[in-house]
Amino acid sequence: MTTSAAGGVTRTIFQAPSWWRLSSRGPSTVAVVLLFLPPALFLFTLFVALPMGEAAWYSFYNWNGYGMPTEFVGWRNFELAFANRAFRIALTNNLLIIAVSLAIQLPLALGMAILLADRVRGTATFRLIFFLPYILAEVAAGLIWRFVYDGEYGLLAKLWEAFGATPPYVLADPDVAIYAIMVVVVWKYFGFHMMLYIAGLQQIDPSLYEAAHLDGASGWQILRRITVPLLGSTIRLSVFFAILGSFQLFDLIMPLTRGGPSDSTQTMVTYLYSYGVTRMRIGFGSAVGVVLFLICVVFAFGYKRVLMRND
Amino acid sequence: MTSTIVRYDTPVTMAPLMRYAILFIVAGGVLIPLLATALGGFKSLGELRVNPFGLPSEWDWTNYWNILASARYWQLMGNSLIVAVLTVILTVSAAAMAAFVFVHVRLFGATFLLNYLLLGLMFPAATAILPLFIKIRDLGLLDTYWGVVLPQVAFGLAMSILLFRNYFRQMPKDLFEAALIDGCGYFQFFWHIILPLSRPILATVSVIVFVHSWNNYLLPLVVLNRDALYPWPLGIMVYQGEFSTDWNLVLAFITLTILPAIIMFFAAQKHIVAGLMAGAAKG
Amino acid sequence: MSWRQLVHTAACALAVSLGATTTASADVTVRLLHVEQDRQISGFWTELARRYEAAHAGVKVEVQYLENESYKKKLTTLLQSPDRPNIIYSWAGGVLRDQVKAGVIEDLTPVMESWKARFAPAAIEAYTIKDRIYGVPMHTAQVGFFYNKDLFAKAGVDASSIKTWDDLLAAVKTFQAAGITPIIAGGADKWPLHFYWSHLAIRIGGRQAFEAAMGGQGKGFADTTFVRAGDLFAQLADLKPFQPGFLGVTYPQSSGQFGDGKGAMILMLNGLLGSMRVNSADKVGIPDDRLGWFPFPTVPAGKGDPSDTLGGLNGWLVTKGPPKEAADFLKFFSEAENQRQAAERGLYIPVVTGTQEALKHPILRQLAENVGRSKYHQIYYDQMLGPSVGAVVNDISADLAVGRMKPTEAAEAVQQAWELAR
Repeated sequence: MTTSAAGGVTRTIFQAPSWWRLSSRGPSTVAVVLLFLPPALFLFTLFVALPMGEAAWYSFYNWNGYGMPTEFVGWRNFELAFANRAFRIALTNNLLIIAVSLAIQLPLALGMAILLADRVRGTATFRLIFFLPYILAEVAAGLIWRFVYDGEYGLLAKLWEAFGATPPYVLADPDVAIYAIMVVVVWKYFGFHMMLYIAGLQQIDPSLYEAAHLDGASGWQILRRITVPLLGSTIRLSVFFAILGSFQLFDLIMPLTRGGPSDSTQTMVTYLYSYGVTRMRIGFGSAVGVVLFLICVVFAFGYKRVLMRND
Repeated sequence: MTSTIVRYDTPVTMAPLMRYAILFIVAGGVLIPLLATALGGFKSLGELRVNPFGLPSEWDWTNYWNILASARYWQLMGNSLIVAVLTVILTVSAAAMAAFVFVHVRLFGATFLLNYLLLGLMFPAATAILPLFIKIRDLGLLDTYWGVVLPQVAFGLAMSILLFRNYFRQMPKDLFEAALIDGCGYFQFFWHIILPLSRPILATVSVIVFVHSWNNYLLPLVVLNRDALYPWPLGIMVYQGEFSTDWNLVLAFITLTILPAIIMFFAAQKHIVAGLMAGAAKG
Repeated sequence: MSWRQLVHTAACALAVSLGATTTASADVTVRLLHVEQDRQISGFWTELARRYEAAHAGVKVEVQYLENESYKKKLTTLLQSPDRPNIIYSWAGGVLRDQVKAGVIEDLTPVMESWKARFAPAAIEAYTIKDRIYGVPMHTAQVGFFYNKDLFAKAGVDASSIKTWDDLLAAVKTFQAAGITPIIAGGADKWPLHFYWSHLAIRIGGRQAFEAAMGGQGKGFADTTFVRAGDLFAQLADLKPFQPGFLGVTYPQSSGQFGDGKGAMILMLNGLLGSMRVNSADKVGIPDDRLGWFPFPTVPAGKGDPSDTLGGLNGWLVTKGPPKEAADFLKFFSEAENQRQAAERGLYIPVVTGTQEALKHPILRQLAENVGRSKYHQIYYDQMLGPSVGAVVNDISADLAVGRMKPTEAAEAVQQAWELAR
């Protein structure tokens, strides 16, 4: 805020904050606020906030979904959830997926972004190819990968046989299935993060690189000292979306394994769906949903406060 | 720029050959499942078992043809399109307007409202599905397009508003001041200045919202009863249940239902890159 | 395409769209929703619907199919929506009880007064809750071992010699020695596995054990009967008798695998016949003369009667507030004349008296006899016990099948779930 409205004078002594000046618009401000804000707030409150609140309320009841809840059970649903083995597996799986996202998916995205940040021939095509899995419906991605992993006609099976071994039934093995799913998660979402990083990289002044090279910096040093720090806020945002997204994973898992085998691939949302909603134990499902929500809220606001303070 | 000159103004200096080698390998990993899916539709079931990777020995067009010629496919696509377009229009309008207020009007409690909206990112739709269903039913919107569109808009608002807000925040402040001098009111400012300059972010948000709507499965499953209104994800689950082990038919069906989203993406991609650039750079 | 063909197509399209509008203004529409994957069966139902329409002007019967899993997911919300179908498919049992308690199912007692006698008493009983009839039974099924005669011959196993549980275990070992997969199972869906556990419980404790457990006597489902069922099932599971990757295979896929000759036997209900046809690679599966059946083996010192059967009693329910044509259609549907055709075509085993003689398929005939003779026909546990307990039974069965759970834990888990659901 260094240019005053009068023009020409570049030294600022005092500048009234914009809201001060805008308020002199008076009725226009009020009108804009009244007209522009309510549609979003109304829709959001009606279809998101209220159902959320109601779902939280249901968590204190034992309810099969018909009519209205009548059987109040207090904290029982929460106790049952924490005592349930599958719930703990689901929680662990979510954390595992986050770990894989951070350790593999995001670095892969960053790597590809760096390779594709400048506009040389072919990069546009590659960007598109890497982004394709993201736009694929999760239902479709799940079906496709089920085909890939199929122990009989899957691509994986063919690969194994080419090496002369009997193919494993990856999705049927409780010890391995979750890793198979993580491959799909990385495949599906890394393109989205890559695009975020590309955008961020394009903001960095190329002369910085040039200067660094002239100073004899190696590739790694450039990466660590220039690229990553300057990409800081983008990376923080991408991590934010990645973690929140990992908690919500559901649509991808259902067509692949439905949470099985033996609950080994349950995530919080598939768990609340299989154990709550489809078994007509809506209160229980809601309790799990509330736990998930609280975890997300604690994470999100903690993260924003600590890491995104200056963004 | 020929590929033999090593450039120093890029984040990585790598022999172009090496760079392309890596890119091709990763691209292969990404594309192989997709290509195998598309090709699978051309094979017979028996051939699919012995030759899942390669080109079909005989290009059997009947699977694809039968699906394309079936009224059902077009009905599914049409339904998905109607719902998606409505969702995009409403979401983009509501989100842009709300974001505008957050950026340009110093509102008391703006942070609170913003955090309120952010909560929408943390709540899985699967949990809220039953109270949502009850709400939709009580509003008489069951089994209608609006019963699907309106909740989708609501759930999409959080991310959309965040993206718009980031973009608007980076627009030059002088713009606003200049407009004020010219006696521009808020509405005119929004309509004549902000929106035209926001094409990139408008395209970005539109594509993201479109894709989410296009791919949505759970909400339509619960809201819609008549298969005349089914969007394609419901159609495919029904299809896959009916023909559960005819993988070649299922793969053909999947390929055909993905194509529209791919086409839409290609068409808008220029805007997307520019839009994400602005929306993400400052976090 | 020639001009004439083009005009013809256009005319047809026009007629269809006009037809669509005229049917939209038909007086009454009855909507029926089912989950039957077998086109022959659903086609038969559609045939009956058309015949009914022909005989009743102004009535349209819409037969709708929804895939099994989606159907179960949607059912709760569906039944509370004003646009619900009028007739829905049902497996009776606990789900029906919940639905009736929720008040979403029409009481058919007055309507069926005149024609309920045409059904076997056990069938009506399955749909009777507190002396009111809530559904129209359609067919019965029995769970037993279907086997591939060729594979049995190859391994040198004689099916008629498998009478006890130990005989079964021995047969499994023989198959493994011969390099043949002994048993096919659709583990991903879990319910095919729960047949083992529940049938063992039936053999071990008979009717009294089950009724005692449901009544909450003693330790309920944690009682010795059910623990022993788990023990015996674990014995089988330890031999690893199932096809590789069975935990990832759905029931339809497994029926296809059996039809393709990938395993010697499968414990399943007679719906397998149709399922196998639809899902095998050659669309035929095992031809009838190469397909055999034997009942679930007995266990040493079992209190259950060897003639006890495990199976289903599937039928139709009418949702609240239907047009009267809905029940009328079901009356037409279950007329002996009509159901006899289902028997003749070998589609399923109808429960309308007098139709079973028309069964031509030898296995279906035998099953019909078995169920007719049985003094204790247990409806599948996962239906009988209701959705949440039933799901637990399925879960523990799947866990027992891979040795991930101990039999005592399994039985206790079921009992816990049962107590919660009371």
